[in-house]
Amino acid sequence: MSTQTPPLVDLRSARFRAEREADWQRLDALVTRAERRGLTRLSFEDARDLAGLYRTTINALSVARAISLDRALLTYLEALSARAYLVVYAPEPRRAGRVHRLLRVGIPNAVRRVLPALALAYAALILGGLVGYLLYFDDPTWYGTLMPAELVQGRDTTSTRAELLDVLQSGSDQALDDLAGFAGFLFSHNTRVAILTFALGILACWPSLFLVFAFGLSLGAFVGLHVERGLAYELFAWLSIHGVTELSAIAVAAAGGVHLGFALLFPGRATRADALRRNGRDAVKLAVLAAFMLCVAAVIEGFGRQLIQDPAARIVVGWGIGLLWIGWLYGAGRGQGG
Amino acid sequence: MSAVPRRVEILPPEGVAIAFEVAPLGARFGAQIIDLIVTGIATGLFLVLVASTGWVSEGALMGVGAMAFFFARIPYYIAAEIAMNGRTPGKRMLGLRVIAQEGGTLTPHAVTLRNQMKEIEVFTPGTLLLIAATLSTTTLLILLAWVAILLAVPLFNRRRQRLGDLAAGTLVVTTPRPKLQPDLAEPRPQSPQFAFAVHHLEHYGRYELQTLEDILQVDRTRLTQAAARQHSQTMGRVSDAIVRRTGYEGLVREAETPAFLQSFYRNQRAFLENRKLFGEDREDKNHASPPPPG
Repeated sequence: MSTQTPPLVDLRSARFRAEREADWQRLDALVTRAERRGLTRLSFEDARDLAGLYRTTINALSVARAISLDRALLTYLEALSARAYLVVYAPEPRRAGRVHRLLRVGIPNAVRRVLPALALAYAALILGGLVGYLLYFDDPTWYGTLMPAELVQGRDTTSTRAELLDVLQSGSDQALDDLAGFAGFLFSHNTRVAILTFALGILACWPSLFLVFAFGLSLGAFVGLHVERGLAYELFAWLSIHGVTELSAIAVAAAGGVHLGFALLFPGRATRADALRRNGRDAVKLAVLAAFMLCVAAVIEGFGRQLIQDPAARIVVGWGIGLLWIGWLYGAGRGQGG
Repeated sequence: MSAVPRRVEILPPEGVAIAFEVAPLGARFGAQIIDLIVTGIATGLFLVLVASTGWVSEGALMGVGAMAFFFARIPYYIAAEIAMNGRTPGKRMLGLRVIAQEGGTLTPHAVTLRNQMKEIEVFTPGTLLLIAATLSTTTLLILLAWVAILLAVPLFNRRRQRLGDLAAGTLVVTTPRPKLQPDLAEPRPQSPQFAFAVHHLEHYGRYELQTLEDILQVDRTRLTQAAARQHSQTMGRVSDAIVRRTGYEGLVREAETPAFLQSFYRNQRAFLENRKLFGEDREDKNHASPPPPG
């Protein structure tokens, strides 16, 4: 009965909790502040305490699991540790520095490391182009087979020289409309090719190379069509201004895919999954580079090609930009790891 | 797809495993929709701007839109997940978060990889499906199979990771929302104390103790009258069951039921924690029976 008060049993876990509760509340407040306004807004003392309190709290969680049956306490500590863990191990907030480092060191180094894969991708592209070109001169009906229907846009074996030149120069009002649409389609088509070559590389390289080869085939047939009508120079200029960048972007994306495929084919001493993760680091950088190059190509395509009509100027601008790419990728960040 | 949340343990560098709740697929889908709306609105505004300047003809607007959407969403996900510590606005609204499965920092590399894979898993087949009418049947079937396989990946692994998560070593969890409830073992002043002997406390285990804790932790001031009455009845039944099972000899008046339960909780917990210190975990009331064969 309740009339005489029995002595209270000593509860180790309750004492444990009472001694540390103030620390937890403080950590809770700090974490809440960091979550709302970011880690960088904490004062020096707060940031220092946050790290220390996180470690003592996660220790307390470990101890509490061993000695306590207080579910309220365990749930709270678990959640608090989880939140503090996420704040303490947050991604580095200095984004600008990271982007800068990626551009200056990370990407050029990655490209130089995967040079064999890049060479393979370019080889597939050029070989495809060559085969497509030769096939076209062998039999012009190949054009219809090799060209994706969405890219033909009325330019086929029945087109006259004047019509083709019209599209290339796109100076007249009527052609501008077609060209804007064509640019959009070409862009989305080429972007899709770039994404697919990268993604499918994971299936042991060959889909990447095959896609680039197939892309080269249609390009070769396209070149053949124009060369046959004596438009070689104009087409070269037309392709130069954005193609140098855009085709390279596709080759870079394919190189990323091939690099991923290498991990499966030649994992070395690592397991294939580990090799994939290892090669993934450079492959992702290549994909970022390819995306960046596609953006540049889209800008050139959207504005530069309409503004610059003179073939010579087109060639100079296109290959000039190409030289800039090479200069950056060849020279930047040498001797710095990353 | 059970209603019970899946839990997964992450081992931070400190070496104490922390359990996280794996985000349900429904919530992830919802977050994705919100993010799509956000990027969609941004693209729409950009298109209106472009259309009003008259640079692009109406026919080309579609292509420009696809392009703008592409360039809006790729940096959106990556930048948001790096800047907001594994959350996009959609994830934040639904309380989700991306974490690294190995413990440690969520690297920008992992964030980039998982979002680039999203492009292949979701958006490319998605855009192609939008123009499904113009595709041949074979292409369409291949496309549907592709989408079906990739959508099935998260269903068939325990951590609900999609392909991008698997490649990047990340997973999506729900953000924990902790609140420290009062310690029931703190003795309340002026409430009668009941004494228990060892033979009263040998019957129950951790499960019963924590069930009792759940009942006692209910904040009665926030209940409706009917719910409060129901809660009182539950407490009465529980207290009767305890008296019956433990063979407690004293008298428990109805008004004293909460005090009795609290007192019993305290003594039972002290007893069980003591046993635990000596290496004997009593999981539930069946702790005394021998373990099932096999």
